[in-house]
Amino acid sequence: MSHERRPPIDPERPWNDWLRPTWDDAPGEPSRPAPTSAPALGPRIRSVAEVTREIKDRLRAVPALRDLWVEGEVGQVSMSAAGHCYFTLKDDRAQLRAVIFRDERRAIPFEPRTGLRIVAHGRVDVFEQQGHYQLYVDMLQPAGLGDLALRLEAIKARLAAEGLFEAARKRPLPVWPRLIGVATSAQGAVIHDISRVLERRWPLARVVLSPCLVQGEAAPISIVAALRRLAAWRDPATGLRPEVVILARGGGSLEDLWPFNDERVVRAVASHPVPVISGVGHETDVTLTDFAADLRAATPSVAAELAVPARHDQAVALRALRARLDAGTQRSLRHARDAVTAEGRALDHLHPAAVLAGERERVGLLLDRARVAMDARLGSARTVLGRAGERLPVAARGRVVRASTSLHAARASLMALGPYATLERGYAIVRDERGGLLRDASTVAPGMLVDVRLARGGLDARVEHVRDS
Amino acid sequence: MTDPVGSAAPTEPAGVAEMPFDAALAELQGVVSRLEQGNLPLEESIALYERGVALHEHCARLLTDAELRVQRLVESAGGALRALDLTPDDAEDA
Repeated sequence: MSHERRPPIDPERPWNDWLRPTWDDAPGEPSRPAPTSAPALGPRIRSVAEVTREIKDRLRAVPALRDLWVEGEVGQVSMSAAGHCYFTLKDDRAQLRAVIFRDERRAIPFEPRTGLRIVAHGRVDVFEQQGHYQLYVDMLQPAGLGDLALRLEAIKARLAAEGLFEAARKRPLPVWPRLIGVATSAQGAVIHDISRVLERRWPLARVVLSPCLVQGEAAPISIVAALRRLAAWRDPATGLRPEVVILARGGGSLEDLWPFNDERVVRAVASHPVPVISGVGHETDVTLTDFAADLRAATPSVAAELAVPARHDQAVALRALRARLDAGTQRSLRHARDAVTAEGRALDHLHPAAVLAGERERVGLLLDRARVAMDARLGSARTVLGRAGERLPVAARGRVVRASTSLHAARASLMALGPYATLERGYAIVRDERGGLLRDASTVAPGMLVDVRLARGGLDARVEHVRDS
Repeated sequence: MTDPVGSAAPTEPAGVAEMPFDAALAELQGVVSRLEQGNLPLEESIALYERGVALHEHCARLLTDAELRVQRLVESAGGALRALDLTPDDAEDA
């Protein structure tokens, strides 16, 4: 086999003539001598590696291919185990293979996905092992980003001029929302994230999900419809309406979040009858919806946090209120006692000794009864038994009239606290046959007659059986 | 003699069990402020105290026992809206 058998290609020959097997070692065909004029360029068989190397060197010699921007649509995308991303870039006439190595991928805040139009930067080089050339990408961004940004600014300026984003428009959130509307996708993690936060933080609320698309061209109309449903709905059982609305979406690319820049969505948020909290994307994503919302949350979970009070805080506040309730009541009781004691002193000066003794006794009795009644109401197990106080004699009343009127009010209250009031609540007074009060079952024997005093009327009863306490 | 506290005697304070948390808490706050201002007739103090205790217990129970209810709004062909409970699977995913 000779390296000299193939003649150099003659550009003047018709193209199909090249197909003739002139360099075939067809049997019987005599071998021709090599042209002696150009022995260095003469036909020779090269190795695949040589050819590929040659192409690679030529390609690398072209400055325009070493540093270029390419715009196209992403075709198939595949990820290697090592973390490199392979994809094709195409338009309607051609395809170009492309690769983003793992390290570059980390630096690019944007992933190619099938169908996206992107602009990629990099160099064209040959991958010798596979025998193809490809674009080695070191930078990537969505195509038309400049367009989007311009459109965004235009919409934003127009809506801002209408005052849609003004701070004065922001409404305060309800402190204790009983019904929370959520507009988001029925699929995906967002509704679960929100439910999880609300369950932990304020499970007293009810959640009504109004499902919508949160991505793609149909999303804006779907979001607007979901908001409208939340505005229109009223729970027939309770009459409640959503008091606050969370509009949420998980993180995504700029395109994914684009529906939340849609003017229809922004207007629906601004004009919603109840306050809207936006929780769209991640911390760094800001959409026009965020500007229009009454409150912007960094993520859906944060939106849920902001929508409700914290159960723990409320438990703490409730305990503090209970302590104040107890203390306030005790103080109140002390004041009443002091007032009656003061009246007792006033009586000392106003009354003849004989009257005075009776009055003091009465006052003392009333105080005792008040205390007993209070204790019973404050949870003490003590049984309330005693005699009802009578009205003060008319004469005595006349003489204490100059003691302040508040004293009379205090006395009236104490009267009210007498045992009759206690009986009214279901207590009974039980006496033995001699009129003595019964407090202890062990002092009573079966067969004994007892007198039971009720709020209205009384009973003569006989003891059947005695139970130990 | 008429009993001035007859109407306050019933053991179950009216309506507390059905009160939403915020209403019960607001009333409890009102009860506490009135008690703290003092100068109340004794019987009123005690009635307020009882009411306060009932309100406090109701609030505390709501805080500990409440379970989140999640529903989904469904629009029928005629445009009528209904709220359907999410299935336990959905609701208990958390």
